[in-house]
Amino acid sequence: MDKRLFINTKPGNTFLDKLTGKTKVRTFLILIFLLIATWDFRLILPLFFLGLFALLSLHPDPKKMWGVTIFIILMNLFNLLLLWLVSPDYGRNLCGESTVLFRLSEFYIVTAETLWYFLVRFTKFVATFLISMTFIQSITPSEMSAGLHSIKIPYKICTIVSIAFRYIPDITRDFNNIKISMQARGMELDPKKTKLGERLKQNVLILAPLVITSFDRVGNISNAMDLRGFGKKKDRTYYSEHEDTKGDKIMLPVYLAFLALFLVIVFMNIFHPSAYEVWCPWIG
Amino acid sequence: MAAPVIEFQDFSFRYKSQNEDTLKHINLVINKGEKVLILGPSGSGKSTLANCINGLIPFSYPGEITGSCKVAGIETQEANLFTLSNHVGTVQQDSDAQFIGLSVGEDIAFSLENDCVPRSEMLGKVEEAAHTVDMDGFLEELPYDLSGGQKQKVALGGVLHNDVEILLFDEPLAALDPAMGMTAVDLIDRIYREKNKTVLIIEHRLEDVLYRHVDRIILINDGQIALDTNPDDLLRSNVLKDMGIREPLYISALKNAGCVFGPEYRLADLDEPDISLYRENLVRHFEEQKPSLKNEVPSGEELLNVDHVTFSYGDFTALKNISFRVKKGERISVIGKNGAGKSTMAKLLCGIIRPDEGTVTFRGVNCVQYSIRELGQKIGYVMQNPNQMLVKDMIRDEIQLAMKLNKFPEETIEKNAEEVLKMTDLYPMRNWPISVLSYGQRKRVTIASILSLRPEIVIVDEPTAGQDYKHYTEIMNFLEKLNREYGITILFITHDMHLAIEYTDRSIVFSDGELLADDYVFRVLSDKKVIEKANLKNTSLVLLAEKAGIDPELFIHAFIDEERRNRAHG
Repeated sequence: MDKRLFINTKPGNTFLDKLTGKTKVRTFLILIFLLIATWDFRLILPLFFLGLFALLSLHPDPKKMWGVTIFIILMNLFNLLLLWLVSPDYGRNLCGESTVLFRLSEFYIVTAETLWYFLVRFTKFVATFLISMTFIQSITPSEMSAGLHSIKIPYKICTIVSIAFRYIPDITRDFNNIKISMQARGMELDPKKTKLGERLKQNVLILAPLVITSFDRVGNISNAMDLRGFGKKKDRTYYSEHEDTKGDKIMLPVYLAFLALFLVIVFMNIFHPSAYEVWCPWIG
Repeated sequence: MAAPVIEFQDFSFRYKSQNEDTLKHINLVINKGEKVLILGPSGSGKSTLANCINGLIPFSYPGEITGSCKVAGIETQEANLFTLSNHVGTVQQDSDAQFIGLSVGEDIAFSLENDCVPRSEMLGKVEEAAHTVDMDGFLEELPYDLSGGQKQKVALGGVLHNDVEILLFDEPLAALDPAMGMTAVDLIDRIYREKNKTVLIIEHRLEDVLYRHVDRIILINDGQIALDTNPDDLLRSNVLKDMGIREPLYISALKNAGCVFGPEYRLADLDEPDISLYRENLVRHFEEQKPSLKNEVPSGEELLNVDHVTFSYGDFTALKNISFRVKKGERISVIGKNGAGKSTMAKLLCGIIRPDEGTVTFRGVNCVQYSIRELGQKIGYVMQNPNQMLVKDMIRDEIQLAMKLNKFPEETIEKNAEEVLKMTDLYPMRNWPISVLSYGQRKRVTIASILSLRPEIVIVDEPTAGQDYKHYTEIMNFLEKLNREYGITILFITHDMHLAIEYTDRSIVFSDGELLADDYVFRVLSDKKVIEKANLKNTSLVLLAEKAGIDPELFIHAFIDEERRNRAHG
């Protein structure tokens, strides 16, 4: 019965939803690259708020969001804790100084620079998460495939993306059917009654018929695509890729500006690298 | 005047992996504007013939071609798949797999996208195609929310662009319930008339296709053209049964009544023929055969009692207050359109889901007490697609698997396996790998593996889906034998009315989660209200009986009795 995935199959009504796949994919990729390239809190913080604002503008279902959000935040905090345990004075390498706030022991110290670095790192990762979520929640697989094609990725590869999303629910259904028939034949999949090892072995047994039925399906799909001329021409148009809206016209200079900023940062990193990677307000 | 669009000249084809030609010396001309049915049992080469026309042969299925095949004047071997797809639109059998888009609109647009048609032009064309196939208003729908019939309409819409001259339907009825099948045949006919196409239908369900006029029937058998004639002549002859194709029921009934068809008889269209020509024969024969109207309740102990059961998936009530009983040795058909609640009922009986309200009892014990696994030893469930059930490499292992999972003692496993192998006539093949088996044999293995647990009731989901009459008869006779000789109670989940008529005594009809009828088959199938509500189709027997002025219920009853007697003797 679980037909829907985490993704959307129909575009929604908000500003971001209504953009073309082209704008969505381009803006997303540029923002992600920008986030990867920079450790500057003066840039990361605005991007964090941008991501937060964008995600909220989609009015996502909070029930769907909470689980992932908490998971991401906890994983990041855990990651930072481990980092601190391994090298408490990590900030020195990145900021160039070490201001000890208090000492727990000879080795375990808490420094302002390390805390600053952790703040930057945390904000950066959460911003990446927010922007990715916005992207995933606002795009449909068809738009994704059209958008990827707009940045000159061969359409055969783009189509794999949308085809995968199209058939995942079918394969899930097959899997459930096979599982049901195996259970009726006596396979015990109840975690309380069967050991993990045994259960894994039994799930492998289910995979055999799943693979065979999926192969049958692949043959049919590829015939259906061939018969309707898939691969006929070098290029392809997209039904789901509507004409540019007003939103797309607004977004064009926006993402171009971000692109320029990204190029400047890369250029600076290569030709005028600052002595230390992470900008720190009291060190400058 | 008649311009040929498809021309085979001494055409033979052999698949790369095979030693023998699948098509042998085909000579065939199909003219522009014809509507042709290509008929033949599975493995006869009829689908291969279709693939030669749409270009999948030789481009996707390589092999050796001799002779010539011209489609729209193009020699197929020298063209390519894409050129041919501008002339031939193909609708395939698997309506689910051929739905490539993530919405109806996108799927209809797929070939336009590949043709680089700008989106502004595409929109109009998609709308037009959707309108032609009655799917306007559905453009945004997702494939998961559509019925098989709707998906097929979309598939047809998707190949209507570019003014293709030829429309090719490869077993279009295989996955559809009777009413949807009728709609599909109707739609094909309408498009044929309105758009002036050449239409080729590959099918083995002759009676369903003949619901609308076809010009010509080409009968393929063993890779050759066995007959190329008009429908009336085909029905008049006796070749169908020899070829393993089911004769329309009304024709069988007329033949049983000893009617001899002269050349003036128009047989293909039941609405048209002048019934007076054979009314006398029919009535006389019916009086001779007239059954006494049965009303006795089947004896035998009660196995299953479904008592006021209700079940919902979330907000959706899939079963509403269902009650029925099953006695030992019964053969019951569970019928209704897709989504009516048949499969949910089967899952409920197997314990995969449990009733929200009401009880299911097996031999007086409430099934809630049994785990799925324990129930599996009482009520077996055979899935529709055997490939979804087979997990082992060897037949013997497959049959032993369920017993091993249930931790039967070693000697019981050996003994049961041997017995089941003998019951199912698989004993000589017990050491064969499953990969070499045909679809029908696989089906038999899955039934055997279920029987190994010694269930008293077996639920068989669509036992005959996608199989021609010969294989159908084989499987059904086999199940009948299990019922007769071993007293196994069988519930058939099906939308095949023929199956219900020929092999079951009682029918339980579902519609929108409700139990619509539970009675003798002949009574259910002659009840027009039930037929209409359950999305079934009136059998031609009902029409025939009405025309001859005989009570349909009794007529079907007499027909069933006679056919069963014939089967028992022959």
